[in-house]
Amino acid sequence: MHDEPLLSVSNLTVDLLTAKSAIRPVDGVSYTVRQGECLAIVGESGSGKTVMNFAPLGLMPTGVTTSLSGSVRFGGRELIGLPEPEIRKIRGKSIGFIFQDPMSALNPVRRIGRQIAEMAELHLDMTPRAAEARALELVKLVGISDPVARLRQYPHELSGGLRQRIVIATALAGEPKLLIADEPTTALDVTVQAQILRLLKDLQRRLNMAMVLITHDMGVVAGAADNIVVMYAARAAERGPVDKVLVTPRHPYTRGLINAIPKREDPIGSQFRGLPGIPPTLGAPFKGCAFAPRCDFAVPTCTASRPPLVPSADGSVFVACPVVNEGRAAA
Amino acid sequence: MIHFISKRLKHSLALLLLASVVCFTLVVSAPGNVAVLIAELRGAVAVPGYVAQVEEEIGLNKPLLMRYVDWLGDAARGDFGISYRTGQAVSADLPHRMMVTGTLIAGSAVIATLLSLLLGFLGAFWPYKLPDRVSRGLALIGASTPTFFVGALMIYGFSVTFQLFPSFGFNGPVSWVLPWLTVAVLPAAVLSRVVRVGLEEAMTSPYVLTAKSKGLGRTAILFREALPNITPVFINALGTQVGLMTATGIIVEPLFAWQGVGDYFLAGVRFRDFMVVQACLLIFLTFFIVVNLIVDLAVLMTDPRIRRQWS
Repeated sequence: MHDEPLLSVSNLTVDLLTAKSAIRPVDGVSYTVRQGECLAIVGESGSGKTVMNFAPLGLMPTGVTTSLSGSVRFGGRELIGLPEPEIRKIRGKSIGFIFQDPMSALNPVRRIGRQIAEMAELHLDMTPRAAEARALELVKLVGISDPVARLRQYPHELSGGLRQRIVIATALAGEPKLLIADEPTTALDVTVQAQILRLLKDLQRRLNMAMVLITHDMGVVAGAADNIVVMYAARAAERGPVDKVLVTPRHPYTRGLINAIPKREDPIGSQFRGLPGIPPTLGAPFKGCAFAPRCDFAVPTCTASRPPLVPSADGSVFVACPVVNEGRAAA
Repeated sequence: MIHFISKRLKHSLALLLLASVVCFTLVVSAPGNVAVLIAELRGAVAVPGYVAQVEEEIGLNKPLLMRYVDWLGDAARGDFGISYRTGQAVSADLPHRMMVTGTLIAGSAVIATLLSLLLGFLGAFWPYKLPDRVSRGLALIGASTPTFFVGALMIYGFSVTFQLFPSFGFNGPVSWVLPWLTVAVLPAAVLSRVVRVGLEEAMTSPYVLTAKSKGLGRTAILFREALPNITPVFINALGTQVGLMTATGIIVEPLFAWQGVGDYFLAGVRFRDFMVVQACLLIFLTFFIVVNLIVDLAVLMTDPRIRRQWS
């Protein structure tokens, strides 16, 4: 099975059951990521992009009961139904995680060196001394100046950009095959965002890792990703190679998103182009396309039944829109 | 660090001086007259002019300010005057009594710490499950039972019924157990909640999500990630509880017939024995201030974010 993708998600549905409510933040989503590839998952807040990646790996807050269906295969192993101790062995070792806010993702009262080194001790069976040496290597790898001193410092002594580099170094410490980066640049200054993204992209190539990049920043997508999944209200609206989806978006939602990016030609002082309306609340069931109420092209069939994600005229791009798929003309 | 300690010591001295004025005022303005009591004791309270004679004898007729200055000057040299009740030097009674109370507080503090950590971790390890409910229930009972009643229960249970420990006296470790447990119950209950709530808050923080994503297990996360984060909070709460143990001692020492500072204080108050009360209050205050200083230093050691402000 040399050809099997490293990560293959098919028809994944996540239900969250809290004491008071049940919601479905991920509803029948499929995608694959191959070794060395970068997949961007794009969508607005609450569209399910984070839950989709964290829930199958057991990274949900305590007190929430998660129910998963569908299939998530990683390195030839089915993750859904795997007991927590087995999933824990995969976390950190085979899959590294990078979080949105480096200000809070590091433990404030522990030295940075320890926080990186414990990964190497845990996953690579290193002695504490060898692990410290590896931590030093990693800190150099992510381009931090004065690495020896940094390892002895505490998180509050570093800037946001440096901390995110530390988080990246930690994620790399177990020699993962896949990196899952959840909005890695959102909490950073604009000037630092570009540096961190370049670093991530560079590391991904050099270490030949796969990467899932969760973001709502189209600029990040264009700069880093090979493929893209556009999420809207728990479902995938469009999926395909980045160069095709960004240049000729097919789904009306994707078009709206790309159209909302400010352009250089826009006159100074012009209004932002946003999407009209607001996204639906999860949990309220809807029959047809979730985007139909906000869509300029909506026809009666849109609200009749849920549109399936099917290949468009260009076979590599998948779109869940009856209007686009019926006419095959909008492309 | 040195800068921090010297600054805090200066504050402490000023605080102590201020507190001594307050103590003095309170004791002096309390109702009752020790001269009358002494006269009664000598059976001469009905003799005309005798009370005034006693007042002159023990210096009560001097102006208040002079009495304070006299007392302060002597106290600074370690002379706390003579007990009106026993006629003995207070400073001669104090060392043994301080040792007794010190034994009580030290043992109780250790027990309260261990017990609260145990209960708190049990709850945090199995949140909302049986161990958590048991720990929570014990904390509720422990925090709401008055200490004198706890002491009576201890004596009834461990001394009368099972005859494991003596019910009174200060004769070696076996006799220390019941007073220790009695004093430790309330702080252990309060602190176990501090531990449990602190751990729960830590366990929902983003850095614990990071720790989970690293593949660390629950035990490792609780001890390596969460515990260091609640240590400063715990030390602060422990300091308050240890300070309050001086007050608990006033109740528990007489209960177990321990001749500690608390017992001394109570006897002094009953007899309006100004010298004894004043000396005990000063000891309690000094203890509070020292405990606070130690707490601040310990927090400084355990929280790198505060440490940086002072280094």
